[in-house]
Amino acid sequence: MKEKDNRPVYLNLLAIDLPIIGISSILHRVSGFALFLIFIIAVWMLDRSLSSEEEFLNLLEDLNSLVLLKVIFYLFLVGIVYHSLIGVKKIISDFFGIGEDLRSGSFISWIYNVISLLVSILLFIKFFI
Amino acid sequence: MNSTIPTEELRSITLSVYRFDPGKDKKAYMQDIEIEVPVNKDLMVLDALVLAKKQETSLSFRRSCGEGVCGSDGMNINGKNGLACVTPLSEAIKGEKLVVKPMPGLPVVRDLIVDMKQFFDQLEKVKPYLITKDEAPEQERKQSPEEREKLDGLYECILCGCCSTACPSFWWNPDKFLGPAALLQSWRFIADSRDQATEERLDDLDDAFSLYRCHGIMNCVSVCPKGLNPTEAISNIRKKLINRKK
Repeated sequence: MKEKDNRPVYLNLLAIDLPIIGISSILHRVSGFALFLIFIIAVWMLDRSLSSEEEFLNLLEDLNSLVLLKVIFYLFLVGIVYHSLIGVKKIISDFFGIGEDLRSGSFISWIYNVISLLVSILLFIKFFI
Repeated sequence: MNSTIPTEELRSITLSVYRFDPGKDKKAYMQDIEIEVPVNKDLMVLDALVLAKKQETSLSFRRSCGEGVCGSDGMNINGKNGLACVTPLSEAIKGEKLVVKPMPGLPVVRDLIVDMKQFFDQLEKVKPYLITKDEAPEQERKQSPEEREKLDGLYECILCGCCSTACPSFWWNPDKFLGPAALLQSWRFIADSRDQATEERLDDLDDAFSLYRCHGIMNCVSVCPKGLNPTEAISNIRKKLINRKK
């Protein structure tokens, strides 16, 4: 029988440095998982909006009056923007080998993160202000 | 004639070290050790550890050459993996505190010493040696300068483990994902014009985990004390794998 290994393993994610590319990669995963969860609500919203003109108008009304629904929809859009942008960055890197050294990779990651942040701010202004 | 021995100006810094003694401790803990270091002279992190060991004689860490060649003293220094012997204290220290922990993701044997078995098991899988099928020539197997140049940035790896233990994909699947160090070695032999086992090497890597778990996080590149680029090597293998399927 295999003996249980009681030796400690050091792994404190908050104390270990990761380059911006690594942080983006983790956020890419997190946004992907969040999108998967929110997708159920998005499909419900799509179904509702397509069922009749009246329901479509009701949904718009709900989006304006129900803050929680508005927040969920906002997070859904932010998630899509982030996940798509970082996904495209990964595809470009995989197919064309762009950003395979630390310097250019970090630079490209910063650009995509800043774009995502700007789009998120614009969406926030559009939705809530 | 009067001769004066110059006295060094010293400052005190705190070395916060990860401690674990399997004979005594149930859990690992951090211990703060105050050491005196010269003000006008830079030390390496290894020197600071040696100073700390003078006070805490039970403090354990691996070291050998002391000049970044043997790869024994890989550890996590203020959050970043590196070799203690070639990491200047001035670069590593934040404020007056230096936090030193073992390399992440591997079982701790004692203090800063980790069990590297998992790391070397993965290295073994890539067969890090030349495989030839032809009969051995009377003299050496020749290589043109251009062919030899392709091995630059690959053969220099000293197997310190800093890259693999800084890789999140290796943390989650240390038994299935080979890790940046082993994959760099794999590419080192695939790229070698004298090696005759490219197809077999690629076959061994062609599954969901061995290579494809690399998500291009590039922490391996960020921490490599020899300035190597395992991400690029992994990408080269990936391209070879994809192209042979066409």
